[in-house]
Amino acid sequence: MKITILNGNSDADNIKFDNYLKKLSSLLESSNHTINILKLREIDIKHCIGCFGCWVRTPGQCIFKDDSHDICREVINSDFVLLAAPLVMGFPGAVLKIAMDKLIPLVLPYIEMVNNKECHHEKRYDKEYPSIGLLIEKEDDTDSEDIKIASDIFSRFAINFKSSLYFIKEIDVSVQEVADEINRI
Amino acid sequence: MKLTVFNGSPRGKKSNTTILLEHFLKGFMETDGNSYELVYVAINRDVGKLVEMFKDANNIILAFPLYTDCMPGIVKSFIDSLKSLRGKQNNPGIGFLVQSGFPETYHSRFVERYLEKLAKRLNCRYIGCIVKGGIEGIRVMPHFMTKKIFNSFYELGKAYGRSGKFDQMLLNKLAKPEHLSALTRLFYSFGKLIGLVNNYWDKQLKENNAFEKSFDKPYMR
Repeated sequence: MKITILNGNSDADNIKFDNYLKKLSSLLESSNHTINILKLREIDIKHCIGCFGCWVRTPGQCIFKDDSHDICREVINSDFVLLAAPLVMGFPGAVLKIAMDKLIPLVLPYIEMVNNKECHHEKRYDKEYPSIGLLIEKEDDTDSEDIKIASDIFSRFAINFKSSLYFIKEIDVSVQEVADEINRI
Repeated sequence: MKLTVFNGSPRGKKSNTTILLEHFLKGFMETDGNSYELVYVAINRDVGKLVEMFKDANNIILAFPLYTDCMPGIVKSFIDSLKSLRGKQNNPGIGFLVQSGFPETYHSRFVERYLEKLAKRLNCRYIGCIVKGGIEGIRVMPHFMTKKIFNSFYELGKAYGRSGKFDQMLLNKLAKPEHLSALTRLFYSFGKLIGLVNNYWDKQLKENNAFEKSFDKPYMR
């Protein structure tokens, strides 16, 4: 599989998190996956200002010239995307959310009924959208309710992203366990 | 009552969130002695100042549009910057306003749960969350419909200005529809067929001479 990892660790001093992803990446490469890690804190992403230019001016592309074009290109051409970020205030940190907001060029502005009951946006690309996994690092006060909330919100995101959330994992499990989970997809 | 409002719309002043807040605040100011200050998270990027304002506030409203099923990235940046206030004594009471483009309120219920937990995490008294769907449409909605919505926000602000609470009945009223009714769903499906519902987008695409590119797939390998 072609796998893109969005590393949303905003704290350069949190070496543990980056190292975990590095290890995961080499393990997955040894299982013949192609891995691309995008370190979001080091690339230029202008936050989405809700101008809808990517829908009505330059369809499919953000009007800003920033690195979000590379993110969209990598993501849409992947089979699996791992969204990875330490929790900050109970939810993956802002760097990841800023990047996720910039994925909306990958869908159309048009609305369709999903499962005949809910409004969602239509696909832009006639292909299977990448499956999604979420990898987090807990904070000192993280409880099961926080994990459930994050998991539910990312599952909702996945519906709008024409995909589904395969798993949510914490980095206190072994790298092998996460790799196995991805290998099962 | 003194209120501090954080407008978290990435569009800043020219936003639907601003419009809804205006009506809410108009109602809020009906009670003598009430005052508020309003800051735009997207414009005021001095994070230190925003945190100070939060710390010094008695009552807070944080308002934003739903972005990819959650708060916009810049609002998350703001929330992340409040880390040092976690669990402190005497943190302000906090209420939220989440509005979405999708017509059903249900889309916003997930971030609502996060916000309630956030209030707890910050040791803030949780006032509640105003949730309203279908707001992107207010630009093209007939006047009688927007009038009804705006009036509800005014009434909600008025009651909040008096009691410091969100009126549950008004919240429920605004939250309709939680899900689309079978009839509305039928209308949506039908509307899609005849190109009515999506006309809003097509019109803008045409205005920008981008209609032929509507379905472009620029990143396809």
